[in-house]
Amino acid sequence: MKRIVQIIFLIIHNSYIPAFFSGGIYQGVLKRYCTPILNCWGCPLAWYSCPIGALQHFIGLRFIPFYILGFFGTVGIVIGRMSCGWLCPFGFLQDILYKIRSYKFKLPAGCSYLKYVILIGVVVIITYLTGEPWFCKLCPDGSLIAGIPLVLADKTGDLRTLVGWHYYMKIAILIFILLGSISIKRFFCRTFCPIGAIFSIFNRLSLLRIRVDKEKCADCGACQMVCPMDVPIYKSSNHIDCIRCLDCIKHCPSHAITYEIR
Amino acid sequence: MKSVKSALISIFIVGGGQIYAGRLWTGIAFAVIFYGSILLMRNIWTGLNPAFWSIVGVWFLFWLYNIFDAYKGARLEQPPCERVCPAGIAPWVYINLIATESKEKYPFFPFFNILERICPAPCEDQCTRKIIDSAVAIKYLKSAVKTSEPAVSDKKRNKKVGIIGAGPCGLSAGYYLVNKGYSVTIYEKEEKPGGVLRTFIPEFRLSTQALENEIKKILDCGIELKCRTEVGKDISMDELLQKYDALFIATGAWEPVKMNIPGEEMCLNGLEVLKRIKQGEEFGIGQVGVIGGGNTAIDVARSLIRQGNKVTIYYRRRIEDMPAEHEDREEALEEGIKIIPLCLPRAVKKDRVVMVKTESPEGRLGEVKVIEGSEFEVKLDKLIMACGQKPKPDFLKPYVNIDEAGRIKTKDGRTSNPRIFAGGDAVLGSKTLAHAVGQAKETAESIDLSLRGIHPFIGRLLKKTYLPRVELLPIKDIPRIKIPHRNIEERKHDFLEVELRAKKEDLKKEADRCLVCPLRYRP
Repeated sequence: MKRIVQIIFLIIHNSYIPAFFSGGIYQGVLKRYCTPILNCWGCPLAWYSCPIGALQHFIGLRFIPFYILGFFGTVGIVIGRMSCGWLCPFGFLQDILYKIRSYKFKLPAGCSYLKYVILIGVVVIITYLTGEPWFCKLCPDGSLIAGIPLVLADKTGDLRTLVGWHYYMKIAILIFILLGSISIKRFFCRTFCPIGAIFSIFNRLSLLRIRVDKEKCADCGACQMVCPMDVPIYKSSNHIDCIRCLDCIKHCPSHAITYEIR
Repeated sequence: MKSVKSALISIFIVGGGQIYAGRLWTGIAFAVIFYGSILLMRNIWTGLNPAFWSIVGVWFLFWLYNIFDAYKGARLEQPPCERVCPAGIAPWVYINLIATESKEKYPFFPFFNILERICPAPCEDQCTRKIIDSAVAIKYLKSAVKTSEPAVSDKKRNKKVGIIGAGPCGLSAGYYLVNKGYSVTIYEKEEKPGGVLRTFIPEFRLSTQALENEIKKILDCGIELKCRTEVGKDISMDELLQKYDALFIATGAWEPVKMNIPGEEMCLNGLEVLKRIKQGEEFGIGQVGVIGGGNTAIDVARSLIRQGNKVTIYYRRRIEDMPAEHEDREEALEEGIKIIPLCLPRAVKKDRVVMVKTESPEGRLGEVKVIEGSEFEVKLDKLIMACGQKPKPDFLKPYVNIDEAGRIKTKDGRTSNPRIFAGGDAVLGSKTLAHAVGQAKETAESIDLSLRGIHPFIGRLLKKTYLPRVELLPIKDIPRIKIPHRNIEERKHDFLEVELRAKKEDLKKEADRCLVCPLRYRP
């Protein structure tokens, strides 16, 4: 079910077929709207915009981005981080990469808080000071679905001349994130993603919640085993990293986990 | 050998080692990402600049991960039974071997068949199947497992290791070290090897025959055993340190814990009683009281009731908080032993004992409060103290750091002295056989690394993981096996083993109950 939704949303989001012929990106009305996921608006196939890109755009122009903040607040207060689990194509890619059978590592617990450093440091402060969207300049999703295809499909050769140390840096980050996602569950989402950082604030407040029945729970740890974010749900049910994918509900052997809408 | 070969292939071809080891898709994915990114860089190359070195750095990381992965192999999530096992056994693997009737053998493990008899089985407390009905009888399935013969290494290292104490920890450490090619000598002060298992565990829980078999298997690997040699008396520590490249201390915990109450000198000690009963002494006391809730207390009570005494156990917490094995407690109750919880002795007099009531609201590890003014007297012919034991390594004081409780301070088996290692009860205080064997394995690895001069961190990376081939089986609705016990009236009067071995077919059915949770609940 989750996989089907993820694939459908990947197609809905990235299906601007004319890009194959023109080599350019869609610049119509829909690009004014953002979806609550990390999907670069520079991708030739993308219909919608990226909220973190839009946020930085306004911070860079030194406006208070009421529209984006309201958007984050509305989505967050209703479903928390659910869009990360069900809609995000980059999260989907990481889920698939983790399925590769290799030696896996566990992420130290403190790394979850690094994404707030990225959010405040890179997305807000550096962007405000320099006026340029610095997170987008380093974002691995941007290089994977926008940077690389645009440069490879470039016919005029203008873009290729722009390739320099900065572009090399982006590719290094992308390979590092891919390597991390093979060996660690949703490495990018848990450590770096600023969208996740914003939504995670609403996880404890949102209308949709995960509830663990302590009477039934046997502390077996099956929920953490199936959790794509490696959250110990039996210990803390609305953890900042919970993406409401609801896999734990399906796999809990004692049916102790339920979701509730209050 | 296969892991080394695949690591070698992976050094030259990224992803090649994975394909060689049978993980086709992993190998392809690794190769696509690594060689794909190289192709991409060739395509968009605009000249060298400092940022290129960051890409080289990431490629190097990827290459390292690829070699590491080829060497270690894919690892599944650890299921609860493996995670909590103090001995480091992977129960789900051997259960799967039984259920699939595989011809493969589980690697030799010291004291494997003894663990079946006297392990408190923390794995069964955590078993995932417990949620559906009840836990898989992990402990009893051991007798249906085919284990391979103890492996003796062909390569000989020119280093000698001395072990003090031929208990379960010392013997298993000896096996692991001989397996790695060292020459090992064990010093034991008693007449025969076996330590706590031989001296204290009563015959009706563990027959001497079973113990002898297991010890013989280990000693036959080529371990030299020197019995009736007490270190500090017959041979000094300095002499040993001169003679051996590394010393392993596994002296155990033999010193009984005292309660410090008036009249305690009139009591007998539980360990003493067990030892004397095992040597064939008859105790005809009459009305006996036993203080304590551990395995020692239950063993003393059950031994004494077999010699025609009337036994009552007094324990300071609730019955369900007793640290003794659950099954042993039930068997003891069946045999007619009374357990009176929530009371403590205050003073021991000639033919009676003054007791006081207690309350323990916080359970197993919580504080015990004495209710003042609730004293009562019990008429007892003898009181036996069985409230725990601790290590007493006096002869070691000048050589290693020891904490207040008499335990040797260690880290992965290494003590404050780089040539002395320690494990088992001497480090942990009084713990189980599984703890001892687990520590032995860990410490043997530490000794091996230190003698080869490898840093422990690198050693951890090189540690091989046992790669099992497990199959996912459908969930079957079978109730938990009932382990046959001897008839109560019959077993009450002799010292033969109480638990009987279950039939192979029944055990096969029991193995089918395992959910194979790491495969079933894979992300």
